[in-house]
Amino acid sequence: MTKTPIPPKDAERFSTVCQFCIVGCGYRVYKWPEGSDGGHAPGDNALGVDYSEQQPVDGAWIAPLMHRVVSDRDGKRYSVAIVPDDDCNVNSGMASVRGAGLAASLYQADGPTRTRLTTPAIRAGRTQDAAGWDEAVDLGARIIKAVIDRWGPDAVGMKFFDHGGGGGGFENNWAAGRFFFHGIRTRTCSIHNRPAYNSEVHAAADAGLAPLTNAYVDAQLADTILVVGANPYETQTNYFLNHMVKNLSGESLSLKKSAFPDEEVASGKIIIVDPRRTMTVAAAEQAAGVENVLHLQIEPGADLWVMNAIARIILERKWHDVGFIRRYTETQTFDAYQRSTLMRDRSVDELVDEAARRAGIEPELLHKAADWIARPKANRTRRRTLLHYEKGLIWGIKNYENIASIVDLALLTGNLGKPGTGCSRLGGHQEGYVRPAPLGGRPALNVDEAVRRGEAKVFWIAGCNPVLTTLRSGAIGDTLKQRGGLVADALASTRGQPVERRVVAVVEAMKQGGMFVLGQDIYPTASTELAHLVLPAAGWGEMNLTSINGERRLRLYQRFMDPPGDALPDWKIMALFAQRLHALYSAENNPEMARHFLDFDWTDDEAVFIDARYTFKGGPGDPMEGYAGVDYKLLRELGVNGIQTPVQLVDGVPVGSERLFEDKRFGTKSGKARFVPAPPPWPGYAAKVMRQKQQHRFWINNGRSNHIWQTAYHHRYLEFYKERAPIPYLEMHPSDAEELQIKPGDLVEVANDMGKVSAMAYPSDAVKTGHCFLLFGQPKGAAGDLISDHVDPDTTIPWYKGVWADVRLVGPAPEFAERISFKPQNVAE
Amino acid sequence: MSKGAKKPGLSVDRRQLLSMGAAVGAAGLAASKGISQSAAQTSGFPTVQVAQLSDLAVGAEIEFDYPDADSPAVLLRLDGPVEGGIGPDQTIVAYSRLCTHKGCPVNYNAAHRMLICPCHWSSFDPAKKGRMIIGQASQGLPQITLRLTNGAVEAVGVEGLIYGRQQNIL
Repeated sequence: MTKTPIPPKDAERFSTVCQFCIVGCGYRVYKWPEGSDGGHAPGDNALGVDYSEQQPVDGAWIAPLMHRVVSDRDGKRYSVAIVPDDDCNVNSGMASVRGAGLAASLYQADGPTRTRLTTPAIRAGRTQDAAGWDEAVDLGARIIKAVIDRWGPDAVGMKFFDHGGGGGGFENNWAAGRFFFHGIRTRTCSIHNRPAYNSEVHAAADAGLAPLTNAYVDAQLADTILVVGANPYETQTNYFLNHMVKNLSGESLSLKKSAFPDEEVASGKIIIVDPRRTMTVAAAEQAAGVENVLHLQIEPGADLWVMNAIARIILERKWHDVGFIRRYTETQTFDAYQRSTLMRDRSVDELVDEAARRAGIEPELLHKAADWIARPKANRTRRRTLLHYEKGLIWGIKNYENIASIVDLALLTGNLGKPGTGCSRLGGHQEGYVRPAPLGGRPALNVDEAVRRGEAKVFWIAGCNPVLTTLRSGAIGDTLKQRGGLVADALASTRGQPVERRVVAVVEAMKQGGMFVLGQDIYPTASTELAHLVLPAAGWGEMNLTSINGERRLRLYQRFMDPPGDALPDWKIMALFAQRLHALYSAENNPEMARHFLDFDWTDDEAVFIDARYTFKGGPGDPMEGYAGVDYKLLRELGVNGIQTPVQLVDGVPVGSERLFEDKRFGTKSGKARFVPAPPPWPGYAAKVMRQKQQHRFWINNGRSNHIWQTAYHHRYLEFYKERAPIPYLEMHPSDAEELQIKPGDLVEVANDMGKVSAMAYPSDAVKTGHCFLLFGQPKGAAGDLISDHVDPDTTIPWYKGVWADVRLVGPAPEFAERISFKPQNVAE
Repeated sequence: MSKGAKKPGLSVDRRQLLSMGAAVGAAGLAASKGISQSAAQTSGFPTVQVAQLSDLAVGAEIEFDYPDADSPAVLLRLDGPVEGGIGPDQTIVAYSRLCTHKGCPVNYNAAHRMLICPCHWSSFDPAKKGRMIIGQASQGLPQITLRLTNGAVEAVGVEGLIYGRQQNIL
């Protein structure tokens, strides 16, 4: 009979945070020897729950995916249960579909996750030979040294994780940053999901803002929530369900009344700018009533027009926050913003009409949005509007101006530094960035191009999979095969020979265009399979790590099991390479270079955390990640609610920051915020994208989904998740599908001038006619293969969502059609 | 990626999907070949009569409790044959109503033929073994195993773990 084991009273307990999305829900971990299960009586189990009875709604249920049996390196087997934590303010005991499967994602030598990388390997020809760490690090370090010595540090390229949560965190980020920016000193760096090493929100920084400004409770306090280019039900789930929905449904009304006793308060309204009618829209309508939800279902690339037209209406109605602008912004930037971005010389009606026409919506909706954002409440008090954005805007038509548009709207309406306000990314992964300053300039070097052109002789890929996710990903895959093939041959021809001979052969191959690839990850990926050196990393739960969530909540994610095989934390791998390079340079009497690689002798996870801490001062100048004065002991004491960064030291005592800019000091030289004016003619489609649009019929919007985390690196192995999307699904409007004789579950091919992707048809009225939505990052079909290499020249950020392609029926796939549900994913009643 | 050009209308077979690494699980294979699945568990479960077959028109929706009074369930007669369905045309199915996310009872949306949780909007497909369509649960709705005995529809077991229990029979 199906049952899930219950943790015994004496089970070991750990506190952690989900490894998946930005929201960072709190979880409790129980670990006990396999077979020594607890009993059903409350006194006989660790949860103190009477499991002889049916648990109530919101009860402490251990669902089947919340339990697994794991093995530690001593060979002993343990049951592990991972359940959502009631005491965590973020999720209040709720799991998301992803977090509920944390236990299922743990390494099991006899389970579906057994494919984890467990041993370093050296590729020779088509095979990868298992190697010890000493041998692997020695070979890699010698090749890197040879490249630096011959071609200079910029010939060492990298694409590295920079995130928090699983596999990232402050510890691993610091070690990687130290290695590349203090050690190698290369400019050929890029961040996991993009071609360069750059902020995705330069315009926010230029305005003096941080990416994450508000507290999650602000979503319970706001009069209006604006969500641009995001789908929080699916991808920031418990921020939406546990905070936004409480506001929309009126559940947080008493909280609002006590927070704002002198203001008119009501249940919240929400404006969602998204080309799709997602589950977020449907759920918001259920929670708030249709009359309190405004969905602007726009055409691609029109968000910039929409945001700026709304701002223009607000200005015209004189609903802008004159006091805030005068006191807290550099007023000359406000003048430039009005002139340039808002085109004050044109009539407001003309602008609004043009914006509406480009967006494919009625002009009245823009007026309504302006109303909901800024029309004063009774007694002329300002509305509290919380502005949120994510990839729809970031990866939009023009990254810099897109971000400027929402940041400027927040400044125009004074929605910063007060309860119920803010202007923040909704976020994808968690954050945990702490590194020495990178060496590149702005706009950042396009590393994908440096790899393709042959300037990078080494390409170190860690915690990401560019063969699947970068733009024009097919070309990167081809480059890794071709340039990497030369080095693989060199390694094959010198198999078994002394390492010095192998390095010489590799350098010779590099002179012919070869490139040495290091692949550091927890699973084999399309990228590690093309790597010459495979470096197995520890994952979540296998090391202590620290990260912040979307409201900058810093917590300790406790280690509760051993990494598989020989896998090591990323920080340790970086340290091994640094130490080896130090020894190699010392041995040839090059103290200058040897010094670059000094001080990588951390003894444990916390030592790295503390080492990185010196970059923070505990004062007003710290970035949003600042954690001055914090150590693991404090984080253990603070538990699942942690402390919100930046941490300020007040008389030496660490004090968290619930929300940023409450003191109205912004991150600029003057301390005042700056409007970021956009050039007057709002940008059109870039030539490469325009060409695609003219040649191909469908707009291929692409992004994340509820069930599948990022590249499905865990979920591709876990049946419950995998069976939802064994290959990427393609949403298309039912009338388009009918015209092409495409039925639910049919195999279709999505093709354009860049490449092609096989997908599973999912007819849906979530998308307009002529629009499609393709699940991104799916290992069986890389949406990146369709995306042109166009980037915003000001920021080197791609318009990942600016893709047009044709769709054709390949044929029915009965196996999909019979087993997979193709019912609407946006029905909530 | 599948690069072979195929004529529209030709069915994509399992081997092609396997070559993409995209075939679904063994149960899917069995289902597509019409082999009845017996992941269902009946041992130790009570037998409870739910309805008379003759009373079940297409669209019928009958609430009942199974395997005990604390565990609400719903029986549906759908408009076409489904995997795990019983009756002359395999249209009769039953599921636990306790949402496998946080335990709120799901409601049947007859227009869309979906079971939807009013608390956090997880939705489940009764024509696809109760699998989650979208939502925050980590398993589908447990399917109640049904049997037809002399014209009576009986509940005899449960496939999957019912919300709020570490085993289905308390």
